[in-house]
Amino acid sequence: MSALQLPDEVAAVLRSYYTCEVTTVNGKGQPMTWPALAYYDEATGEIFFSVSIAFPVKAQNARKRPQVSLLYSDPTGSDLDQPPAVLVQGDATVAEILEMTPHVSALNKLARQRQPDSGRFQASNLSRRLFSWYLFKRIGITVRPKRLTVWPNRDFSQTPSVIAVAESEAADVE
Amino acid sequence: MWNKRLAKLATKYPTGVLSVADVGGYPASVRLVARLDTKRRVVTFPALPPYAQGWRGKACLLFHRHNSRLEGLHQMVLKGELVEEGGAVTLHVTEFVTANGQTKTDEMPHAERPIQLLQFLLLGRRKAREYERKRGEPWPPIDYAEIERLLHEDQ
Repeated sequence: MSALQLPDEVAAVLRSYYTCEVTTVNGKGQPMTWPALAYYDEATGEIFFSVSIAFPVKAQNARKRPQVSLLYSDPTGSDLDQPPAVLVQGDATVAEILEMTPHVSALNKLARQRQPDSGRFQASNLSRRLFSWYLFKRIGITVRPKRLTVWPNRDFSQTPSVIAVAESEAADVE
Repeated sequence: MWNKRLAKLATKYPTGVLSVADVGGYPASVRLVARLDTKRRVVTFPALPPYAQGWRGKACLLFHRHNSRLEGLHQMVLKGELVEEGGAVTLHVTEFVTANGQTKTDEMPHAERPIQLLQFLLLGRRKAREYERKRGEPWPPIDYAEIERLLHEDQ
């Protein structure tokens, strides 16, 4: 997959916001939104996040209905000055994390950087034994963006601009 | 069902994230001010963003917050239905859901609160066992050597 051609301020949001609000839809058409820490792979244009196997609803929903969205609307901790809000709508693929792929490794590193306590938690043998279901038994969700909607200055009272991702940007180019 | 205690906690958030299932084939969300009307047991929106003007039907409203170290995590979701009443869009709440499995607080477990952490541990282990049972085979062994290597890389 090729990189996305995004304005700098939009790419900065995907890179720097600590969390985004992920929405999946269940079989009854009910949307469910939860915050997630997500890694933006600028080389491929994909966004990756994960859930514990103990709380797999997001993953199960995305398996059945791959259309998902991620709203970047809370810049707390990002150090960005007057960033926009960005809604990413895209298609998800879901897979259990059974090995340390580059996406998994990058997401874990990001989590330790943004939440220093999580690194200490992972380093503790006791935590590993008690919380392996949370720390290491996880399901990965990879999102290929199809459309981005941007509100400058996070001002939702304005009509947003829309960035459609061209097919060539979303296609595999291996 | 309305939850008085969680509704009170929800009023402390300056904004929430409203989501619907289908805008151009995908779910969509906006951040907005939400007012909980505890008497009517509904949520109203003083200024619905233009992007969300046409939204009706099944929806959810997320409240969450964290600090600059990604600690102090709080989160809850109100599930419901967006309907038009008297010219305004209102969320009729059907359920309050917390990520911690609790009905009294939206605070996520933290080491400083051992009882909450223990409750979360028991809930998580039970749910993870359910997942593995449905999976049909146990999760493969975790490569702690690789994790150690990555942790050392950080230092």
